[in-house]
Amino acid sequence: MPYLHRKDVPNPRRSAAIRSLLPMALFLAALTGFVWHSRGPTSVAGNVVPVLEATLQAGTPQQANASGPELKLPLEEKSVRFAVIGDSGTGDREQYDVAKQIEIYRQKVGFDFVIMLGDNIYGGHSPKDFADKFEQPYKPLLDAGVKFYASLGNHDDPGVERLYKPFNMEGERYYSFQKGDIGFFVLDSNYMDPAQLDWLENALHNSKAKWKICYFHHPLYSDGKSHGPDLDLRAQVLPIFKRNGVNVVFSGHEHVYERLKPEEGIYYFILGNSAKLMTRDFSSTQNMVVGKDTERGFMIVEIAGDNLYFQTISRVGETIDSGTAGRQAPPPTQSSR
Amino acid sequence: MSRCIGITLRRHLRRQTCWAYALLILCAAGFAQTKSDAAADQPEARILADFGDRVRKYLQSRQKAGGSPKQAKEPEKLANDRKQTAAKVRVARTDAKQGDIFTPEITGYFRQQITATFAGPEGPKVRASLRRAEPVRGIVLKLNAAYPATLPRQSTPPTLLLNLPRLPKELEYRIVGRDLALHDTVTNLIVDFIPNAIPAS
Repeated sequence: MPYLHRKDVPNPRRSAAIRSLLPMALFLAALTGFVWHSRGPTSVAGNVVPVLEATLQAGTPQQANASGPELKLPLEEKSVRFAVIGDSGTGDREQYDVAKQIEIYRQKVGFDFVIMLGDNIYGGHSPKDFADKFEQPYKPLLDAGVKFYASLGNHDDPGVERLYKPFNMEGERYYSFQKGDIGFFVLDSNYMDPAQLDWLENALHNSKAKWKICYFHHPLYSDGKSHGPDLDLRAQVLPIFKRNGVNVVFSGHEHVYERLKPEEGIYYFILGNSAKLMTRDFSSTQNMVVGKDTERGFMIVEIAGDNLYFQTISRVGETIDSGTAGRQAPPPTQSSR
Repeated sequence: MSRCIGITLRRHLRRQTCWAYALLILCAAGFAQTKSDAAADQPEARILADFGDRVRKYLQSRQKAGGSPKQAKEPEKLANDRKQTAAKVRVARTDAKQGDIFTPEITGYFRQQITATFAGPEGPKVRASLRRAEPVRGIVLKLNAAYPATLPRQSTPPTLLLNLPRLPKELEYRIVGRDLALHDTVTNLIVDFIPNAIPAS
């Protein structure tokens, strides 16, 4: 049974109770010397719901921009760590701000690769565009040897980007790679033709990876109103995901952050706000666990054994969301095609 | 007694003969059906083969012009390679006109497949996907012209792709407004297109 730690699901009654107890709690905290630690704004559709939790960690507060970045990952030995960015290639100041935060966290977390959820280069695809929208903002990461694995969005040029070596696509629109026990399956959701569907089925079926992570641009589920879910894409790929034990799906396209309720045992994240932002974008909270449409951001992920730890960070270094996802049991029967 | 056995035997033989006739009629009907199906499939197979040939010929001319591009670390090199290949393809296809690949017969087949997809059980999902995929409007497609680099590309619904002939790796069907273009991703050129192929919503 899949689970997510749902400590951050907003509960209005609980929030009201917390707010009423806040002054007394702060007074007691000051008296006793306990550190009260805010987990950052858990926001649904732009409505910030402050959730406070007591962490008895006297003397070791983890606060953003005070004594280094706030960290929610356990940093276990031999774990696989990576960052996630989506809809990043604008070349605007906001992209550079997010990139700076990614580098700050890289120094703390030590991840060595970044997955890109598409729209890597907006607008033109001249050499200057590549410089302004990728090479310059992520220069510290590239200089540190961090590898980027790109997927294609609707603003990307497949003829050029799949051949651009720093995107590590090996000349293909869709491809896979493995890090430790984790298999990554990178899809081109702009053009999900029968050849790609066949490849996906085979690649997932033949993979011996413990974790199977798929990422691509267009979300299968979304509460965003700019685009919403791609129903036709979902109808074609979801049966393949389910048959072959996909654990996690990352998408972009919607310029927000959204963590969705697991659907049929698969965890879904949307991160399309690493440079672009669409405020007041949520039309509902039907599928949502946590949503943020008021700030740009990125994710850092750590996978250790059967746990996936994630932390979503804003461009000013605030933690927007964090939690742990347990690995689901693989499907009971072999994939039947 | 022996008369009785004779009657039973005759009845038995008659019944067997009836069964044999019935089986023969069924087989004949089945054969006729298969034959008529094959006849019905023949035009479709011929159209698909014709389309495949025309696509292959285009790729051969592209191959002569510049071949398949290689990966590079420098965007300048990628941009120059594409520019040179596209220029050579344009020269090689100076006389090309709309309908060279999508002939009237092939166009008819494509329209039939597209209509069937939109009218089929997945039709509403296909329409919803198209609406949500940042539809590209206001472009007048021109043969051998580059797809505008600053414009997004609308995703092509997977169900529609299942109903259209498969393309070689570097060619794509691209929906532009209501037109269906054959797009070469290597050169970024519009190879051919069918105007108003997508039904109005």
